[in-house]
Amino acid sequence: MEMKKFTRLSLLLALCIVLNIIESVIPLFNGYIPGLKLGLANIVILFILYCYSFKDALYVSLLRVVIVGITRTGLFSVAFFFSLGGAFLSIIMMSLFKKLTNLSVIGVSIIGSISHSIGQIIMAIILIKSNLMVMYLPWLLMFSIPTGIITGKIALKMLENFKELNEVGVSLY
Amino acid sequence: MNKSDYILIAFLGIIIIALFGFLKLDKSDVNNALVYYDNDLILKIDLNTKLKEYKVKGYNGDVYIKAGDGKVKVVEEKSPLHLCSKQGYISKSYETIVCLPNKIVIKLESNDDLDVTVG
Repeated sequence: MEMKKFTRLSLLLALCIVLNIIESVIPLFNGYIPGLKLGLANIVILFILYCYSFKDALYVSLLRVVIVGITRTGLFSVAFFFSLGGAFLSIIMMSLFKKLTNLSVIGVSIIGSISHSIGQIIMAIILIKSNLMVMYLPWLLMFSIPTGIITGKIALKMLENFKELNEVGVSLY
Repeated sequence: MNKSDYILIAFLGIIIIALFGFLKLDKSDVNNALVYYDNDLILKIDLNTKLKEYKVKGYNGDVYIKAGDGKVKVVEEKSPLHLCSKQGYISKSYETIVCLPNKIVIKLESNDDLDVTVG
């Protein structure tokens, strides 16, 4: 891998982890709806998806989950697997929708946000073996739309400022 | 934001409203609260009685449960975030209280419900 790209991706990974810590201290109906978060780390993942490739975004996303797992929640804990399921599904869905539809960055961000919630619920069904988590689905989806729009708008601003990185020339709007 | 973004948001809005409607339709009365510890049924509470406090053993210590009048809640438990005691009363058959640190799960069931519960 090119040194410049390698350094940039490492910096972005670090940014991802810091954003994860920051959003964990922002109260968002804390405790009443489990799993509800702003999803600030998704800004960085979106940025990598548009500036680099799906593979790079996948690596950074999974590494983020592992590092946050080691430092904060504990590796292979329940929260770790929730996070892994959400991150994996969201990155796959985002790249699919980016390729196949003409959604803008904001639309792709909303897709990432909702598929993160759905991934977590699928993990919960597998791990806790209870389909009752589904009752949180409408609530999570309802909050996913505004949080998706917020992170999408921030990612769009970031991408506009780093236009020279967008070598592939993917349309942002 | 372009046109397809608005279509996406409208589409999701319809799905969310449909899901909320689907959950609201379930109005069956609940009769029993089932308390599980580590997937084993340890306590069955009749919810047609007056509110009363119960004590069960959790992984981190005693868990106090208040149940009766068709609803149930966790009053006190030892856990880092106290998610299940913050949750308050539950009263619908699809609702559940999960206290992972204490390995306690509380589910509701109705007697006339012949649905098979999987898991």
